[in-house]
Amino acid sequence: MIEFKNVDKTYANGTSALKNINLTIEQGEFVAVIGLSGAGKSTLIRCINRMHDITGGQLNVDGVDVSKLRGSQIRRFRRRIGMIFQSFNLVTRTTVIKNVLVSFVPDLPWWRKWTGVFTKEQKIKALEALDKVGILDKAFVRVDQLSGGQQQRVALARTLAQNPDIILADEPIASLDPVTSKMVMDDFKRINKEMNISVIMNIHHVEVALEYADRVIGIRKGEVVFDGPSRQVTKEVLDEIYGGKLEDMNPSSEEHTAHV
Amino acid sequence: MTTVEKQLLAAPRNYRYILMVTVIVLILFGWSLSAVNVQGMNQGGMKIAGNILRGIFHPDLDLLLAVSKQSVLYLLVQTAAIAFLGTLVGAVLSVPLAFLAASNVVPKPVSWLTRLLLIFIRTIPALVYGLMFIRVTGPGPFAGVLTIGLTSIGMLAKLYVDAIEELDTRVLESMTSIGCTTFEKIRYGIIPQLMSVFLSVTIYRFDMNMREASILGLVGAGGIGAPLTFAMNGYKWNQVGSILIGLVVLILIIELMSNRIRAKLVRG
Amino acid sequence: MYDKIFPPKQVVLPSGKTVLEKRTRLPLILIILIAATLLSVNLTGFSLKVLFTRLSQFFVIIGQMIPPKWEYFPHLWDALLATLQMSLLGSIVGALLALPFAVLSSSNIVRNPVVTSVFKTILSLIRTVPTLVSAIIAKFIFGLGPTAGVAAILLFTLSYVGKLLYEQIENVDMGPYEAMESIGMTRVQAFRYAIFPQVLPGYLSTSLFCFEGNVRYAAILGYVGAGGIGLLINENIGWRDYSSVGMIILALVVTVYLIETVSEHFRKKLI
Repeated sequence: MIEFKNVDKTYANGTSALKNINLTIEQGEFVAVIGLSGAGKSTLIRCINRMHDITGGQLNVDGVDVSKLRGSQIRRFRRRIGMIFQSFNLVTRTTVIKNVLVSFVPDLPWWRKWTGVFTKEQKIKALEALDKVGILDKAFVRVDQLSGGQQQRVALARTLAQNPDIILADEPIASLDPVTSKMVMDDFKRINKEMNISVIMNIHHVEVALEYADRVIGIRKGEVVFDGPSRQVTKEVLDEIYGGKLEDMNPSSEEHTAHV
Repeated sequence: MTTVEKQLLAAPRNYRYILMVTVIVLILFGWSLSAVNVQGMNQGGMKIAGNILRGIFHPDLDLLLAVSKQSVLYLLVQTAAIAFLGTLVGAVLSVPLAFLAASNVVPKPVSWLTRLLLIFIRTIPALVYGLMFIRVTGPGPFAGVLTIGLTSIGMLAKLYVDAIEELDTRVLESMTSIGCTTFEKIRYGIIPQLMSVFLSVTIYRFDMNMREASILGLVGAGGIGAPLTFAMNGYKWNQVGSILIGLVVLILIIELMSNRIRAKLVRG
Repeated sequence: MYDKIFPPKQVVLPSGKTVLEKRTRLPLILIILIAATLLSVNLTGFSLKVLFTRLSQFFVIIGQMIPPKWEYFPHLWDALLATLQMSLLGSIVGALLALPFAVLSSSNIVRNPVVTSVFKTILSLIRTVPTLVSAIIAKFIFGLGPTAGVAAILLFTLSYVGKLLYEQIENVDMGPYEAMESIGMTRVQAFRYAIFPQVLPGYLSTSLFCFEGNVRYAAILGYVGAGGIGLLINENIGWRDYSSVGMIILALVVTVYLIETVSEHFRKKLI
């Protein structure tokens, strides 16, 4: 369970990223965080696994006060939280399975860490994770030979191999085409339902968010302006979150002068 | 004015710049021409050219195929050994230097100083190194290895630095989120990226070192250079021919192999 | 072939699926590398002991090179200029000649495979002959002096730029070329307007880069009597006049540095 209690985050130069966040997310929920770019969605997610520090309030994850963790405690804490990025963040020059095996590295004894030799059980677990996302047949292929959608699924498999309780996803489908996006989102949904892993996802495709998430949190200028089930999201709610900017996004097509 | 006319006026004035550069290059060309006198190529020269060609096409096969210690075959293998070991030495020395010269790893003054050092190392002609090392190790192939080691640093360090500065650091972010220590991030995030580039560059350099190693014999640093020069100074063109053929064949073979390996490294 | 001796490993997952994992080539590679290293050490007489005990000699010489003999500078000015002229001429002519050679080697312009392979082989052969060897041969043909050096540099530039150029031409986008042929241009014209603009930046960039390297080569060429600064280095090392050598090296470094900076500036603009 994730609890935000009056959480603030202000950067060193004075900009306020998050203001007075109060949220409770239970285990197994599928939450979509929506809002304009720069509203604070990324910051919110990254506070959960302490990639960013909060400057006020309290943040508890499964009973652990995140801001009180130090050094190797942070690393051990992060083991249980998986993270998916927009740019996949894989080592492109190595094979798929080597990328998935990276998630076991912190648990290896020192001599295995140096030589890079993994145990048979770890290899089997990695292959199982690849099977769960449907790219088992690409296990020994180099990552840079895969398409974007396949790479994101490798990233997903890497996260699954961690055996996390929570998966944080920062714009996971932003670089993918609609068809592959659907496949990846289906994977997320399946993992969420079958393995009861909480999924908290940043997403700016509102329709996709509403289709897959159970719960929607709307962020505007660092504050929560909406928190409820996705079926309660109406046009008025969206206007509030996006500040009416949704229509402004169409470019004006009447040009009186060519810019020289 | 219409919009179209405005655009025309605003077209970039590249022509003057290109013209200026071309004129400068032409002037330089003319100036450099003065250093050369084509008169130097007299009758004697043409005759020698003909002799060389004839020698190449009628190589001294006994010399080429004999297997004794002084034979061409042995010396060619020795040349390859000099190139191989020299490249190894150069690679080992270049890795720390490359890291010290990378602006995304060390602070600016350190990287600037290292680059200066690298420029010095790179510019000193190989033969100077050869003569210096002969004083250290005595004449022979050992000096050749060290010379090639040092001359390789120039190119290896430069290309290694390029690879280091192009590192994709986004992987490190995901490794942090998994909970990895710095060592683990280097071993599993950075090194896999660098490995294939380092290997490819090093193999390419080995290729070039084969050619350098063959001339080191000139200064007594071992390999095929000495017999080649003796043969040439003695006008024994048949021997020159056989040595050249052996050399060219060896270099071509190594080039073929290295190209295949490097292509595999890139494709994976 | 490796897979026949060491068949791929079968890994069975709990879910019942099997995966074939190819055995890593790493042990074989390591063995080859170690064997090659040991063999090379044997053949070359490499000895760490000798290295460590005598390494100080190397620095003794460097110590004698610093401080450089400043008074020597005017002496070497002419030689320096000669070196520059030599490399400039060789590079320019070599690069110009590389054009026809490269075009004749490109399989997408010259449809005759015999012609292209002949020219590619010529380029390869020229590239394989070490620069110094061609310099020595040139010395015999043209006599002592910078002309021989120009010839050697010319040949090297020709093969280096030529190879990179034809690789570029073969990888070029053929669309515009075909379009031009279809409106009735000859092959030369189509090349000039469709392909040449595409490869021009790379061609100039490679030529500049080659020139940079050639200046350094030219310095060595003098050693075999091909003129330029190499001759001076040879003399002074013979006389053990290391501080003069130091001055020469300093002058060389400054020159090369200047040339590289200018060249890099232009090369960045070309890309």
